[in-house]
Amino acid sequence: MSVLRGAVAAEWTKLWSLRSTWWSLAGTPALMGLMCLILGSSVASDNTNEITTDDQGVVSVSGVAVGAVDLVQFVPLTLAILMITSEYATGGVRGTLQCVPPRGRMLLAKAAVAAAALFPLGVLSGLLGTAVAGFALGEWGRFSAADTAFDALAIGGYLVLISVFALGLGTLLRSTAGTLTTAFLLVMAVPILLDGTDAPLLEHVADALPSAAGRIFMGGADDASYPQAVGLLILAAWTAASLWAARTTLRHRDA
Amino acid sequence: MITMRGLTKRFGDRVAVQDLTLDVAAGKVTGFLGPNGAGKSTTMRMVLGLDRPTAGEALVGGRPYAALRRPLREVGALLDAKAVHPGRSARAHLLAMARSNAIPARRVDEVLEMVGLTAVAGKRAGSFSLGMGQRLGIAGALLGDPRVLMFDEPVNGLDPDGVLWVRRLMRSLAAEGRTVFVSSHLMSEMQQTADRLVVIGRGRLLADAPVADVIAGSSRNAVRVRTPRPDVLAARLAAEPGAEVTRSGADGLVVTGVPVERVGLIGHEAGVPLYELSAQEASLEEAYMELTGTSVEYGVTGR
Repeated sequence: MSVLRGAVAAEWTKLWSLRSTWWSLAGTPALMGLMCLILGSSVASDNTNEITTDDQGVVSVSGVAVGAVDLVQFVPLTLAILMITSEYATGGVRGTLQCVPPRGRMLLAKAAVAAAALFPLGVLSGLLGTAVAGFALGEWGRFSAADTAFDALAIGGYLVLISVFALGLGTLLRSTAGTLTTAFLLVMAVPILLDGTDAPLLEHVADALPSAAGRIFMGGADDASYPQAVGLLILAAWTAASLWAARTTLRHRDA
Repeated sequence: MITMRGLTKRFGDRVAVQDLTLDVAAGKVTGFLGPNGAGKSTTMRMVLGLDRPTAGEALVGGRPYAALRRPLREVGALLDAKAVHPGRSARAHLLAMARSNAIPARRVDEVLEMVGLTAVAGKRAGSFSLGMGQRLGIAGALLGDPRVLMFDEPVNGLDPDGVLWVRRLMRSLAAEGRTVFVSSHLMSEMQQTADRLVVIGRGRLLADAPVADVIAGSSRNAVRVRTPRPDVLAARLAAEPGAEVTRSGADGLVVTGVPVERVGLIGHEAGVPLYELSAQEASLEEAYMELTGTSVEYGVTGR
């Protein structure tokens, strides 16, 4: 156990010694605030303009923050991806494995550090986004302390799981650009494409993708086809599968 | 102590390291020589458990690297000086390494002082020159105060002062009873630093012997003779077992396979006057070129 603690301490030190980490950390709540301002204002203006078909009425303020995660997630996602792909880019992964030879332990340490950094970041961003959305919505916002607390925690949980999923992906693919592209396609583009089709099978596939499962888990889906808890389980399964595949590959691949 | 038993690595159908069996002993500097692409770095990576051997095994202190609980405290290695995140400071880089193996943080400042990087410890590694990068890599190798040290081309990019410093460091580490395994393509460097040489070519072991033996084994060790009657002397020398005689100029002979004393006696017995009689010792560079040249020419020369 103490050797795992050492590996985690090393990853923790590495994470905070890079300027890019601080940019990502500042960027996540900043983008969240901006997105919530735009989304909140857009709801308010839709409700008050002359067109009545686009009216959404009173909406949950923390729900706006959940909606903003679709875009905001790419900042922490990139941070988690860089934790491994930057080491492949410089060759530093060999040094990492000299310090911590068991592949699974090295990966687990990175995942733990990503989780420890991104969970509070997600919660804080969710709270900030809710506050900004409340300001932008004004009378069109519905605030509930319980909803806000749940949604903020859910955003933190979602960012951890999707980022660790991406960390596994980055370990498999090694290249920063390749991993970012793949993550973008899987998290953003493919769900939109599949949603556009009318084939029921493809819609089921779309519902099972990590970002769709995450949206249902956070309660951000309008037409959820399964309960929130199932969304959490599906997302966690994606994350576990990604880590498992990454560990298996690391064990067989030359560093 | 590093042990390799039948260590083999193939990438597809290309053989990088072929059936390498050797012991790298403690208390000595062992030079690891070979042309580019001979398999030196691959061998070192296998010792560190980074590359998986196709066959055979590499052990450090009798155990595979991956089985070491706190590996940096037992094996220090400098593989690639550029393998540091350019945005991370030298101190943070070493501190992360130290934490991974429960090495006290004050040791980081100690090794920074040892390699002379204290003044730039807070600077981003990306701004370092190649020589500073090498010093940082050496600091990382020394961090855990390990019994076994491996350096891949440690003097690359160092200025003359730095080269001298590395040479003294290697010697003092070995004098403390540590195992020092250092690869290089600089023969002159090895001649001054190493006690023992391991030479590989095309992944195969060509020589594993003390430096003096490698030089003594070279066919470039020759005796040079000048005499007014070279034909007579050449005929007498040719009768000696193992002798090879070549003419050199009008009155010169170059003789291999016969000790210098014996050449003098034969000249005396034949009544041939000698103008010059001198033993010529091959340089390590020549001995090395001969060893690896053979490996390239014929592909296989096991020893």
